[in-house]
Amino acid sequence: MKKELQRNLVRTARTTTLYILVAGVAMVILFPIYFLVTMSLMSDFEMYNEWPLPMLPSFSMSFKLQNSQKGYLLSIYNKVDNTYLDMLDTNDTGYIINFVKRKTNCTLTREKLNEIIEELKNNSKVEFKLRKNFLLNYTLFFRLKKDAWPAFLRSIYTAVVTILISLSIGGMGGYAFSRYFFKGKNFLKLGVLFVRMFPAVATAIPAAIILGNMGLYDKPIGLAFIYSIGSIGLTIWITASIFLSIPVELEEAAQIFGTSKAGAFWHVTLPLALPGLAACAMYAFIGSWNEYAQAIILTQFNPTFPVVVFEYVLGATGMAHLATAGGMTLAIPAVIFYLFIRRYILRMWGGVRV
Amino acid sequence: MADLKLENLSKRFSRKVWGVKKMDLSVKDKEFLVLLGPSGCGKTTTLRLIAGLEEATTGNILIDGVDITDTPPRKRDISMVFQSYAVWPHMTVYDNIAFALRFKHLSKAEIDSIVTETADMVKIDNLVKRYPDQLSGGQRQRVALARALAVKPKIFLMDEPLSNLDAKLRVVMRTELRAIHQQTKATTVFVTHDQSEAMSMADRIVIMKDGVIVQIGSPDDVYFKSTNVFVAGFIGMPPTNFFTVEIIHEGTDIVLKHPFFELKLDNERKSMLYDYSKRSLTFGIRPEDITITSEKNNLLKERALVVEPQGSLQIIALKIDDKIVKLVSAREHTVFPGDMLFLTFKQNKLHFFDIDTGERIGDL
Ligand SMILES: Nc1ncnc2c1ncn2[C@@H]1O[C@H](COP(=O)(O)OP(=O)(O)O)[C@@H](O)[C@H]1O
Ligand SMILES: [Mg+2]
Repeated sequence: MKKELQRNLVRTARTTTLYILVAGVAMVILFPIYFLVTMSLMSDFEMYNEWPLPMLPSFSMSFKLQNSQKGYLLSIYNKVDNTYLDMLDTNDTGYIINFVKRKTNCTLTREKLNEIIEELKNNSKVEFKLRKNFLLNYTLFFRLKKDAWPAFLRSIYTAVVTILISLSIGGMGGYAFSRYFFKGKNFLKLGVLFVRMFPAVATAIPAAIILGNMGLYDKPIGLAFIYSIGSIGLTIWITASIFLSIPVELEEAAQIFGTSKAGAFWHVTLPLALPGLAACAMYAFIGSWNEYAQAIILTQFNPTFPVVVFEYVLGATGMAHLATAGGMTLAIPAVIFYLFIRRYILRMWGGVRV
Repeated sequence: MADLKLENLSKRFSRKVWGVKKMDLSVKDKEFLVLLGPSGCGKTTTLRLIAGLEEATTGNILIDGVDITDTPPRKRDISMVFQSYAVWPHMTVYDNIAFALRFKHLSKAEIDSIVTETADMVKIDNLVKRYPDQLSGGQRQRVALARALAVKPKIFLMDEPLSNLDAKLRVVMRTELRAIHQQTKATTVFVTHDQSEAMSMADRIVIMKDGVIVQIGSPDDVYFKSTNVFVAGFIGMPPTNFFTVEIIHEGTDIVLKHPFFELKLDNERKSMLYDYSKRSLTFGIRPEDITITSEKNNLLKERALVVEPQGSLQIIALKIDDKIVKLVSAREHTVFPGDMLFLTFKQNKLHFFDIDTGERIGDL
């Protein structure tokens, strides 16, 4: 009886340690992401006037307006220090409205301000609360960077084309590697990996010349070609091993039971290879979507979204909340793509086994 | 219902490797033909050639007299059970069976009734909604079988379908496959490397070696009239015992001389060997044709080395001239290792083979 208790205790201790460890690792991985998300939702005031940085963005802000010698004194409530901070002393009401928006992401309408000023005639101070415009950073980012939205669309286009090219050509290559014997097969197989040994920035310069000759310089399609070269190699390797793990007999059985070689591929091999292809699509997408080193070199007037965000982050001193919104916008499509493709990738490890 | 003909069929994989070499074979309508041979002798290649999964190097394949050598597999009216079953893991049992039917533009109801009927026939009617990875090996085997039966093919091909099953199930399935054949009467080519499987199932057995047919015949033919040393050694469990002997003419008698025994032939066998010009030959005797006898009329005596009881029978191994010889006897009196045995051969069950070519001498 005592022994059993002891064993239980040891087991509990062991699992607890494991959980703490896992949680710790998860924290390390997730903390930057957490900050990125919260910061992208914070206003300038929260970012720069509240210290230490609040853990959660607030939904509303409290203000105080007082009469002063110059006109009006605007204070904003600092929820970290629990005090009002004096921010602005002016008699220009237009400026007050503007300042509130820029500093706190809250909209103070002229009517509301007039009401408050009216109240000030009887009181020495008026306290009021405004709802924060939660996604203002995002709209602001796109409004400030005029080329952000077209760049965003270009990036999506580039990523989709990259996926299509690398999956179709890489997939065919992988199939050939797995099913057929030909001279120089191993040499070729290593060759496609060899391409990856060269840093993308270095190969981008000859790539720029080649694209220029083809008339594809500064065009998303040209960029997609270059990105595909990198991901085709990996796709070949992944799909070749996937196809290898699918017994040829499954295809042959399909051929015997009523369909052609192509039909066998379509009805049997493709569905079974789907998880691997999804993983390849994921690689191709990320390789294209997050890339800026080559994009900087291979585009000029038509940059991709990462280039725009990169430039903004570099140039945005004192605008970190907007930069994080840009960064988040860069991350969101990747996350959506990941959620969409997740169930196929999961099938590779659970579910259907070949 | 159909007959199948292979004419001069060859498959050459590379300069030195022949899968099948100049094969002539005709399979009769409704026949259950078994291709038998050791691993690597070209059985699978033959089957794949018939199925159209392998391109013939030379020769023709005819079904009902129609040349199908260059027809793609799906148009050959054949079906196949693979050694690895090859059931599609991403489809339910139902979809596996219905796959081929859907290409035939049958109505949903027709497909449904065929699937139910075949699933019933192979006793997997309660499993049709499952995926293959939820089935045991034996059940998957039945799915593969049902899938092949559902299309009602002219020729039914099976490549060692029982070799991945456990010993007991294998024997059960033999009977079941034969019963299904009785019912469907589909012309069948069945491949196996297991001689007892072949013996128990075949109408006719085709014995292959190194891509060439060695003997074609009924199970009794290949057992009692093995065409050469290879067949005699391959068929039967335990296999035939072989001795190299000298032929000695003593007056009108012919005596087979072996360091351990001298066997005087009776008249029938004497006439068989009378014209044989070589001075020595290989003779073979099946384990059950060596009999234990009394001391006074023994041909040779030897101590038992190993005894394997097999229920009502016992397999006794002994060493003659440094070679293991096995014999089978009834368990009337149990033999123990070390017992001295007095042995003799049944004269009418002797097999003679040419010492050089290994071919059978005489046709008795
Ligand atoms: N695809 C192939 N390429 C080269 N040689 C092969 C191929 N398939 C079979 N062979 C060779 O052909 C011979 C017959 O093989 P197979 O028909 O599979 O034998 P079995 O089925 O009787 O064991 C073997 O020597 C084998 O090595
Ligand atoms: Mg084989």
